[in-house]
Amino acid sequence: MAPPAQSQRSPSPSQPSGKSEVSDLKLQLRQLAGSRAPGVDDSKRELFKKVISYMTIGIDVSSLFGEMVMCSATSDIVLKKMCYLYVGNYAKVNPDLALLTINFLQRDCRDEDPMIRGLALRSLCSLRVANLVEYLVGPLGSGLKDSNSYVRMVAVMGVLKLYHISASTCIDADFPSILKHLMLHDSDTQVVANCLSALQEIWSAEASTSEEASREREALISKPFIYYLLNRIKEFCEWAQCLVLELVTKYVPSDSSEIFDIMNLLEDRLQHANGAVVLATIRVFLQLTLSMTDVHQQVYERIKAPLLTLVSSGSPEQSYAVLSHLHLLVMRAPYVFSSDYKHFYCQYNEPSYVKRLKLEMLTAVANESNTYEIVTELCEYAANVDIPIARESIRAVGKIALQQYDVNAIVDRLLQFLEMEKDYVTAEALVLVKDLLRKYPQWSHDCIAVVGNISSKNVQEPKAKAALIWMLGEYSQDMQDAPYVLESLVENWDEEHSAEVRLHLLTAMMKCFFKRPPETQSALGAALAAGIADFHQDVHDRALFYYRILRYNVSVAERVVNPPKQAVSVFADTQSSEIKDRIFDEFNSLSVLYQKPSYMFTDKEHRGPLEFADELGNLSIGEAANNVVPTQMVEENDKDLLLTTSEKEETKGSRNNGSAYSVPYDGSSTSVFASQTQIESAVSNPTLAGHSPQASFAIDDLLGLGIPAAPAVLSPPQLKLNTKAALDPSTFQQKWRQLPVALSQEISVSPQGVAALTAPQALLRHMQSHSIHCIASGGQSPNFKFFFFAQKFEESSNYLVECVINTSSAKAQVKIKADDQNTSQDFSTLFESALSKFGTS
Amino acid sequence: MPVAASAIYFLNLRGDVLINRLYRDDVGGNMVDAFRMHIMQTKELGTCPVRQIGGCSFFYMRISNVYIVIVVSSNANVACAFKFVVEAVALFKSYFGGAFDEDAIRNNFVLIYELLDEIMDFGYPQNLSPEILKLYITQEGVRSPFSSKPSDKPVQNATLQVTGAVGWRREGLVYKKNEVFLDIVESVNLLMSSKGSVLRCDVTGKILMKCFLSGMPDLKLGLNDKIGLEKESQLKSRPPKSGKTIELDDVTFHQCVNLTRFNSEKTVSFVPPDGEFELMKYRITEGVNLPFRVLPTIKELGRTRMEVNVKVKSVFGAKMFALGVVIKIPVPKQTAKTSFQVTSGRAKYQAAIDCLVWKIRKFPGQTEPTLSAEVELISTMAEKKSWTRPPIQMEFQVPMFTASGLRVRFLKVWEKSGYNTVEWVRYITKAGSYEIRC
Repeated sequence: MAPPAQSQRSPSPSQPSGKSEVSDLKLQLRQLAGSRAPGVDDSKRELFKKVISYMTIGIDVSSLFGEMVMCSATSDIVLKKMCYLYVGNYAKVNPDLALLTINFLQRDCRDEDPMIRGLALRSLCSLRVANLVEYLVGPLGSGLKDSNSYVRMVAVMGVLKLYHISASTCIDADFPSILKHLMLHDSDTQVVANCLSALQEIWSAEASTSEEASREREALISKPFIYYLLNRIKEFCEWAQCLVLELVTKYVPSDSSEIFDIMNLLEDRLQHANGAVVLATIRVFLQLTLSMTDVHQQVYERIKAPLLTLVSSGSPEQSYAVLSHLHLLVMRAPYVFSSDYKHFYCQYNEPSYVKRLKLEMLTAVANESNTYEIVTELCEYAANVDIPIARESIRAVGKIALQQYDVNAIVDRLLQFLEMEKDYVTAEALVLVKDLLRKYPQWSHDCIAVVGNISSKNVQEPKAKAALIWMLGEYSQDMQDAPYVLESLVENWDEEHSAEVRLHLLTAMMKCFFKRPPETQSALGAALAAGIADFHQDVHDRALFYYRILRYNVSVAERVVNPPKQAVSVFADTQSSEIKDRIFDEFNSLSVLYQKPSYMFTDKEHRGPLEFADELGNLSIGEAANNVVPTQMVEENDKDLLLTTSEKEETKGSRNNGSAYSVPYDGSSTSVFASQTQIESAVSNPTLAGHSPQASFAIDDLLGLGIPAAPAVLSPPQLKLNTKAALDPSTFQQKWRQLPVALSQEISVSPQGVAALTAPQALLRHMQSHSIHCIASGGQSPNFKFFFFAQKFEESSNYLVECVINTSSAKAQVKIKADDQNTSQDFSTLFESALSKFGTS
Repeated sequence: MPVAASAIYFLNLRGDVLINRLYRDDVGGNMVDAFRMHIMQTKELGTCPVRQIGGCSFFYMRISNVYIVIVVSSNANVACAFKFVVEAVALFKSYFGGAFDEDAIRNNFVLIYELLDEIMDFGYPQNLSPEILKLYITQEGVRSPFSSKPSDKPVQNATLQVTGAVGWRREGLVYKKNEVFLDIVESVNLLMSSKGSVLRCDVTGKILMKCFLSGMPDLKLGLNDKIGLEKESQLKSRPPKSGKTIELDDVTFHQCVNLTRFNSEKTVSFVPPDGEFELMKYRITEGVNLPFRVLPTIKELGRTRMEVNVKVKSVFGAKMFALGVVIKIPVPKQTAKTSFQVTSGRAKYQAAIDCLVWKIRKFPGQTEPTLSAEVELISTMAEKKSWTRPPIQMEFQVPMFTASGLRVRFLKVWEKSGYNTVEWVRYITKAGSYEIRC
């Protein structure tokens, strides 16, 4: 038989024209299927290759399924593999056709060649079709008992695959206990390693429901088993060694001699060529010695050299992965690494993600003995072509200065930066000089002389401009022309786009005025006038506030605006030590690279709200509200710390009592928090401040939250809500799109409620105390829009609410969607009663 | 779990999928699109090799003109994942015989799929050792080792033999001529200030071996490193040439090296794999002999002219010579015209990288050629910013020279049949990142 005509066509599989090619292939495959001519395997191979390459680039070749299966009757192992690959890819979308393949796969599972047995078993388990699992059990069972280790190795992974398709089938067939037996007795270490991976996954997943599984999971980190693995560790392949070492970190030795035994046994792993093994070993060492301070220090010394080697070898990506871990250790114990600072010098061609970490490490390890060299080196980077890195390095110099090492020389360096006449260098340096002055006011004299020479026209970046303006205001008595510089800035008020700068300008004008009133008075007037006319709410508010307080009493104003300042001793750390410890506990994982604990990026609820806020961008009339709310939610979820005890008590209370919302709510901390925001907004919001009776009323009301509720307006419905309901925004959005509107109504809002609703947050807190949670909010007086959700107590039935409140008409438009339509009326009553209590007690 | 990769993709620079292999269902099928959209088509590319998009993390690596992307959905072990990619690429290279690039992938994609199936199962790395895989995944692919005589031999799995044998070496190898090649390859990293003081300097070295030995030989390697020498001080042996001992900061070994014996006796003894492999890697920071000194003087004469004088001094033995020396001297972007005088080699201005490139093919030791150049700049009014001077960079290779001074004192081969072997030892020092600020 002549070879098919495909040879004339373009040999490149990358530009297929689509359908016609696929049907062509179909025809050719059909011709070959029954053929027994010599050389037919070669032509089949060419065709299969084409099919696979189409599949790879995303062309749908699933229509060839039947033909491919027909052609699969062959003894050519490469053909078989291609066919398996194809079947594995399309079985999921064609479960019916997949049934066709079962036969030949099962037959191959009994082949005399262990290679074919293994391959067939692997493909059989990769079909991922739920209704075919019954065909898997038999071959898997015999695969696990196979005399050949290759087949056993594949079968073990097959069990794990089966578990993911149908956990119950896997458990019912008693596969976990067979795996356990294999793990303890198999002679092949790869089989043992695969058993370990599989069982870890299976038992962790089962542990929540089955006590036996959680016992078994504990048994994995029992002494005999750990020792069994440790004694054989050299027989394992490098990847399995990582697996074993990871397990060992969870083991808690009974005494210190055991710890030393393990460390002695593992010490030579630090010389392994595979960096992953080295890192895993380091983790074991660090974890084992956590409670032994002295030894822990020695461990740091011991692991230093291997880590530095790993950093300097391998691709940039690998060295980045290691460098992140080194970074973590440097941050924990900078003094251990202070003599190795030269390793953290940046090379010119290194990628910036590596440089950035190195800069942070250089900053951390700076001490009395090496500061001079480090700062000199950092100053070299300030002229770097990579501008973000140049900025980082200037910031690093500043941070070192704030750590108080050798400040004198560093200040000179920073001042040199100011004279370098590069926009970004000047900008960064200005911000730093400002921070430095806040910490070391004694340097003001030297700095001011240089800062005074900088023309504000050369500074464009808002942060830098704000810093310059702050210094002009703060040190206006020392700077000859401060009032005039500020005045010229006020004159160009309209050209200033950054609200932050305008805010700083207002404050600086005030400060300048208190120090040099005659020169500043007229400019201050102009500034306040411009500020009050400003369209930006905060600028407007601040200007008005200054104006009023000045009118009230100038000396009071000075006390408020420019009180004597204490030098800042410690700038706030960005990461809590608790979070750092959690990252450390997850050493050798992604957490270290992301610099956050795993729950922050693996749990949906934690990463959700922010993304959702982005998507709901069109809602963000009041951006502040939209940004604040989600972050608060994140924080609350994150730490579980902000959940005050009173709130937890409330949860208990609601379970004991009949109804969630009528429980006397003693949420003192929450309500105080809420009322604080209320006061702030009341003070800063001029319109409300004008209606003082209403405003004070609102404050009273909010404080009054602590008072036991008056007889409920509506009779308490039977519905109980889950106080800690959780729903991630994407699910919310999805549900919102899918569910029909169960109820739509208009509710009147009480006047008190209207008065209290100056910012969306106030209502959020109130509703949360009624177990109705907000997922997104936005808007400004008079129109506010909220998305709420609630969950039925001890059920996963959700209620979704869209609520638009117009404060001028005192009406709320409410749309409710519910998983369980029958209870939506009850929920609506509940929602209405909760809303009606807003602002009242 | 160390990796549990959900998928692995090979993409070309345009973002076309060359290979995709889904191992798990916990990530969607359109992960490639997410990668293309959020990383390849944005400025994000190259800013960080680990990125999170949606619920998945992407680890990506560029190797020649191919991106290899690993997708995971859990808190995976990154170092392990990158190491896996590197090892996998080494494996592919050993199969293709050389380059790993888009063309090689297109020509061998069936083979790659085969290998991907073997080296990773359900996201867990399996055996990646080329010696073993080549036993049952052959490039011809037609033959499986079992198909002919099924009862003949079992799968030579890396870990099959527990009877004290070694997984990385097959039994029953026979060579007519038993040869061992050993290369010490060092790369020198240097950062020198404009005043000529060494800011940072280290050497990363590796010992590469090529073994063509019959049977199961036992090898023992002696170096002139400090710890090893102290250990056998009773033998009163002195290192022959350099007369000094070398202090290795850190050493890592191929899995074939008996680490227990290294820790107790400080000798490197091993049963080598067949063929090529990397025996050990080391790092040295103290007592590095720099092969070259560079003395630059760059004067900016006004705003449109520059004078560049660079003297390069070779400080290794006069009988030796360096090959392929390239010195890249940066000049400002607005360079208009250049003229040179060199005492050796050739120089030209390469506008694409804003450098004067001075090449010297053969550079004898103890010489000091110079380059003097005049550079004319286009005067621009806008360009008032001063020029940020990038460092001068150097490339070179110096055969038979080690910057660390490391030497092989002996390489002994024992085999029970007692055959004679021929050992070849070479040294070479290359430039790593050799930078001199100016």
